[in-house]
Amino acid sequence: MFRLWQSTAFRITLGYTLVFLLSFQVLLGFLWWRTAATLDREIEAVMAADAQAVIDLYDTSGLRSAVVAIKERLDVAGDRLALYGLADRDLDPIVGNLTRWPQGVGAEPGTYEITLPTPLGDRTARILHLWLGGGYHLLVGRDIQDRLALRRLIYDGLIWSAVLAVGLAAAGGLLMRLAVFRRVDAITRTTAAIVHGDLSQRLPTRRAADEFDQLAGTINDMLQQIQVLVGGVQNASNAVAHDLRTPLTELRGRLEGLLRAPRPIADTRAEVAEAVADLDRLIGVFNALLRLAEIDSGTRLAGFRAVDLGAVAAEVAEVYEAVAEDRGLRFAFTPVEGAGEGAGVMVTGDPFLLAQAVGNLVDNAVKFSPPGGRVGLAVSRAADGGGTVTVTDDGPGIPEDEKPHVTERFFRGTATAGTAGTGLGLATVAAVMRLHGGTMDLADNGPGLVVRLGFKAG
Amino acid sequence: MDAIANRELGARHAGPTPHEPMKILIVEDNDRVAQFVCKGLRQAGHAVDHAANGRDGLFLASSEPYDVIVLDRMLPGGIDGLSIVDALRRTGNQTPILILSAMGEVEDRIRGLRAGGDDYLAKPFAFGELEARVTALARRNTGPANETVLAVADLRMDLLARKVTRDGQAIALQPREYTLLEYLMRHAGQVVTRTMLLENVWDYHFDPQTNVIDVQISKLRQKIDAPFGRPLLHTLRGVGYRLDGDV
Repeated sequence: MFRLWQSTAFRITLGYTLVFLLSFQVLLGFLWWRTAATLDREIEAVMAADAQAVIDLYDTSGLRSAVVAIKERLDVAGDRLALYGLADRDLDPIVGNLTRWPQGVGAEPGTYEITLPTPLGDRTARILHLWLGGGYHLLVGRDIQDRLALRRLIYDGLIWSAVLAVGLAAAGGLLMRLAVFRRVDAITRTTAAIVHGDLSQRLPTRRAADEFDQLAGTINDMLQQIQVLVGGVQNASNAVAHDLRTPLTELRGRLEGLLRAPRPIADTRAEVAEAVADLDRLIGVFNALLRLAEIDSGTRLAGFRAVDLGAVAAEVAEVYEAVAEDRGLRFAFTPVEGAGEGAGVMVTGDPFLLAQAVGNLVDNAVKFSPPGGRVGLAVSRAADGGGTVTVTDDGPGIPEDEKPHVTERFFRGTATAGTAGTGLGLATVAAVMRLHGGTMDLADNGPGLVVRLGFKAG
Repeated sequence: MDAIANRELGARHAGPTPHEPMKILIVEDNDRVAQFVCKGLRQAGHAVDHAANGRDGLFLASSEPYDVIVLDRMLPGGIDGLSIVDALRRTGNQTPILILSAMGEVEDRIRGLRAGGDDYLAKPFAFGELEARVTALARRNTGPANETVLAVADLRMDLLARKVTRDGQAIALQPREYTLLEYLMRHAGQVVTRTMLLENVWDYHFDPQTNVIDVQISKLRQKIDAPFGRPLLHTLRGVGYRLDGDV
């Protein structure tokens, strides 16, 4: 019982049942008051009025008039339920359809409910007993046998409704509790499985789209997000562990080799210089990883401000123009129309991260284009007020089956063999675009690659 | 500094030249980092004091005259790097300060500089980078900012006319090449690193994967050195560059 009381579903159900029963009681009381009670009040009012009329007549015109009036009422009105009697001080009847003093009516004035024997059987009657002046007794009554039957009928009906209502409330409450309990129990069990590490579980939903479905849907969305994030973290740590192992092994081998076999000082210095270069590359990878983690954590959102995409691209173009030229590439920067006349493409973002993203793309384009190739960087305004940064090259491009993977950490495509790189460049671009709510689209340039970064209006 | 530079720059030599010993304070709680920094700077001929916590650091910094203070941002003992900077600047102490930090991202760097630091270096750093920045800071503290002509050996830059000549011959430079050369000439005789150039010449606060600086330097070298036989712009492998007329 205690456990039952702890159940919210039970308490809610019980509360609703009680409220339901209470409302029903009030309704029944109202019905009773409007039907049976009204009938009673009407009868008493009619009897009191009749009696008063006879008394008034007796007081103004004497006993004869009262007797005549009673007779007239009995003859003319033809009301077979009306009862009249006028008796002298010895309670002997003078006039009326009560031919003798009815049993059960006392000598004192008052209202009496009595059983009246008739040839058709016993009838229940209500009798008003009043004094007339001069020691006479006036009896005004009504046969209420039929009304009692009606009243009984109403009473029985109301009682049965009450019984039925209690039954329905109990059954309804039980069903409600069961329904709620089933839904909550399903959620509890699924959640328990998730707690035990099965992140692929989802809460059951129905088509009803009720509050439970909405709740389950929200929780499922949350689980989806958690699963993606946890998967990302697992992949990232696996990738980090795997991809740092190789350079660390090389570095260790280099230093161990120096320890094992002493060599001329010049060779030793050269080896140490190589080891320092190895370390610098590793530090570069760590910095890129830290930056990725910082981007993904969303803390950079605090530094978001209005940024001119055109200015960001121009800065990157400035840095890479000479590099492209040095490698015998043709580099073309196409600023947005009207740039420099206060008509920049404004987005909301982190200028340093945006420069890093565009820089990584141009860096790749320069790195992978063959001598004599063309590298393009362009900024354009989108119809909805947003902007696009497009980087094109005529290098080897990215094979279709590698496209979904190029934004993964440490993924290096087949075309990157023999070129320097950490495998974090495009992963960083993708993370920056995620943070900015933008899109990154890789397409074929036939030959080469087109990367489009799409930004919403800011 | 050669004779021409001396004549042109006049009062510039109140402070230490690149080859003069400096008095440096290192405030760093990590023993091994402090040791390797102190050892390296002493080997370069400088006088180095070391404080291992914020309180000692603040005491030394406010009682001794230093040419440069190298300050770790995170320090034990209740007083961190930024509060030392704040305390020194509040008492009118303008000694150049290089802040070291494990946090290297741009926003963090901006916070450090805004607090009154003069330069900012993220760990892990190369010693060459630290030495170059310390030297640049000590020089910046003493050099006048209002000269109109810069000169290194026979290379001259007229800051008003924005004209560069070497041995009397005019050299045409792109705007960025001009800015790069101006920075190198203002730090003549000192080592400047690639990141110093990226930050100060390009105002570029991200990490380019390809070494874009090397390309710019070699283009500049084609114009100021190649036609004249005697090179002024030297590459220091693994560290950076130095524009020097004395070598």
